[in-house]
Amino acid sequence: MTGKELIKEAFALKEPERIPWIPFVGCHGGNLIKKKADEYLKSSDLMIRGLSKAIELYNPDGIPVAFDLQIEAEALGCKLQWADKNPPAVISHVLSEKSISDLKIPSQKDARIPVVLEVATTIRKNYPDIALYGLITGPFTLALHLLGTDIFLKMYESPDEINELLEFTKEVAKAMACYYIDAGCDVIAVVDPMTSQIDTGSFETFISEPETEVFELIRSKNVLSSFFVCGHAQHNIELMCACKPDNVSIDENIPLEYVRDIALKNKISFGGNMKLTVVLLMGSVDDVYQEVIECLDRGGKKGYILAPGCDLPMNTPQENLMAVKNLLHDPYQQDVVRTLEKQENVRELLNMKDYGITDKVIVDVITLDSESCAPCQYMVEAVKQIAPHFEGIVEWREHAIKEMDSVTFMNSLMVKNIPTICIDGKITFVSKIPPKNELINAIQKRINEKLRLKISSKRARIYVIGKSQKEFEQIKEHINLAIKETGRELEVKYTTDKEMQLSFGVSVTPAIVIADYKLKSQGEIPKVEIIREWIKELD
Amino acid sequence: MNEILEKITKCVEFGKVDKTSPFPPDLKGQDGADELTKAALEQGIDADTILKQALVAGMDRVGQKFSEKKIFIPQMLMAAKAMNAAIEHLKPYFQSGAIQHKGEIILATVKGDLHDIGKNLVKMAIEGSGWKVIDLGVDVSVQKIMAALEEHPEAAVGLSALLTTTMQNMQEIVTEIKNQKPDNKILIGGAPVNDNFRNKIGADFYSPDPQGAVKFLNEQVN
Repeated sequence: MTGKELIKEAFALKEPERIPWIPFVGCHGGNLIKKKADEYLKSSDLMIRGLSKAIELYNPDGIPVAFDLQIEAEALGCKLQWADKNPPAVISHVLSEKSISDLKIPSQKDARIPVVLEVATTIRKNYPDIALYGLITGPFTLALHLLGTDIFLKMYESPDEINELLEFTKEVAKAMACYYIDAGCDVIAVVDPMTSQIDTGSFETFISEPETEVFELIRSKNVLSSFFVCGHAQHNIELMCACKPDNVSIDENIPLEYVRDIALKNKISFGGNMKLTVVLLMGSVDDVYQEVIECLDRGGKKGYILAPGCDLPMNTPQENLMAVKNLLHDPYQQDVVRTLEKQENVRELLNMKDYGITDKVIVDVITLDSESCAPCQYMVEAVKQIAPHFEGIVEWREHAIKEMDSVTFMNSLMVKNIPTICIDGKITFVSKIPPKNELINAIQKRINEKLRLKISSKRARIYVIGKSQKEFEQIKEHINLAIKETGRELEVKYTTDKEMQLSFGVSVTPAIVIADYKLKSQGEIPKVEIIREWIKELD
Repeated sequence: MNEILEKITKCVEFGKVDKTSPFPPDLKGQDGADELTKAALEQGIDADTILKQALVAGMDRVGQKFSEKKIFIPQMLMAAKAMNAAIEHLKPYFQSGAIQHKGEIILATVKGDLHDIGKNLVKMAIEGSGWKVIDLGVDVSVQKIMAALEEHPEAAVGLSALLTTTMQNMQEIVTEIKNQKPDNKILIGGAPVNDNFRNKIGADFYSPDPQGAVKFLNEQVN
């Protein structure tokens, strides 16, 4: 099923085979092609490149043409202040100089409208299987751009003027919806974030009618619609649904369950809610995984579209958005994240310092459960098959993380992905089932390493420090006897060197210092935490 | 409470600016905050009493209702307008020292963000509670904030961001202030901001509404 079909299924409140996802790539597209926001949002060429890159990286089911709520205001004469990393901001309100009757509905040729329409047409042609979202500025937010914050006072002081203004901005929204529909958009999203800032009474008095009319027009064109809001808009969700959009989309400030229940009651779909800044912008891939699972589980299977709450910040890390895509397409990993989440209180770590120093090579396969997870099963099979080749040298075992002990073991080995193969406690194959030869080579390599280590360990040395050769006599006898009894080959160095005595901190002789030169690693750069553990062993 | 003070409180609470204000309907044609404050001063009620007993009380009620989502920005702005009409008459008393500020706070909307409604609402609530506000406006750089802190070394700092895209600038500003002035309290707010984010960037306080900021500041001096 294509992304567009998945989104249509979600809109129709059927249960799609997978929850669809829409990254709201606005100026973030500029970041993907290393362009500043102002340059990017003015150029159809750059926006097409940025969106194409986003589609390639994030494999979305839907994507917005642009996320810029200043396009209409600019076309109507408001001045913008441009920025490197943000969409522009409106800095002059055209109604401070003109009256409403002086304003004309922008045409397809005004300001940056032709830029975004060209983007829509090209992306439509190049990616026919993705749901293309045309985002238009909602009537109330556009009215605020045109009039400034006086709009709030005038709602009380001169309501007729506000009604006249909203009548005009509604017509602008309808015109923009038609332009985007003609350019091939599948969904028109009316983005009206400022409605979150007014009470239900004002919403009903001023907003309900124009919004409803815009959604009616979109429906009459056989195109889907969505009502986007952000901020603390919980009190208005019911009224938003009553405007009869096909979908409502919200940010993280509103509990997803609340929106889900109201939307489904009104027989419309819903989306958004992913934590934009704390998780997508500033979080780790693990944070993203948990957030995706939380949204999927709370949104449920019917009618939910996974999306961030608003425009993606320009510098949102690519790997975080790719993590959303990867997890969404991998039900096994979803199960892994869910299982680990349930057991997150397991914080105890085992002391793995001496793990893997036995004569045998130990292969640990960390799985979700090889009986129920296909990739895990194949990985276990791979190990099972090659173990007999090493006749008694290799010992293997499976750790299914549905068991608490296995989670502890996994955390202790710092394993993050499932399934993973560790050889003597060292992460060797992550999520990838190794071909037979690779696995054999990896085990053989470890056997060789151990052999080398064994040889190297003979290099331990005993220093006997004394003032004169005479002092060594009895000690020498004891040491030789002990070495003989243990069967170890050790080098013993007898010294009367004062400097060496001082460097070992020896104040009274005779003294014995044992230097155990353990080879800890070679041919690789160990992580800081690993070296830290080695240093701790010295205490 | 004195009848006229109670009336001023009600004017602030419901946003009755002056006699000509059409809102609220039940006070139509009656004196508003402007006329009543002037009259109170003429009756010999001292400015400090008018501020604390009438205006602060009115703002408390407004702030409370805003926190409870009983009123929203339009009503807050109407209340602010009424409050400002009253404060206009009290200004000379602030200048003469007859009224003392509780403390100082620098307010700014962060770099890259030009939205000032939220910040102005907070300003009004904080000013209404007797604090001196140094308003740096919108699109404010960290350098500008540091310069203001040089001039007002004891001041708290309140930062606002409305765009998800400018929250990162907020983080950078908070980090810089905390590096140089670890003891000055930083309050943050704005539609996309939450306490989780505050925790992440190391600011001292987040409130979803102006009233929370007022309470926090007052706790610092009480």
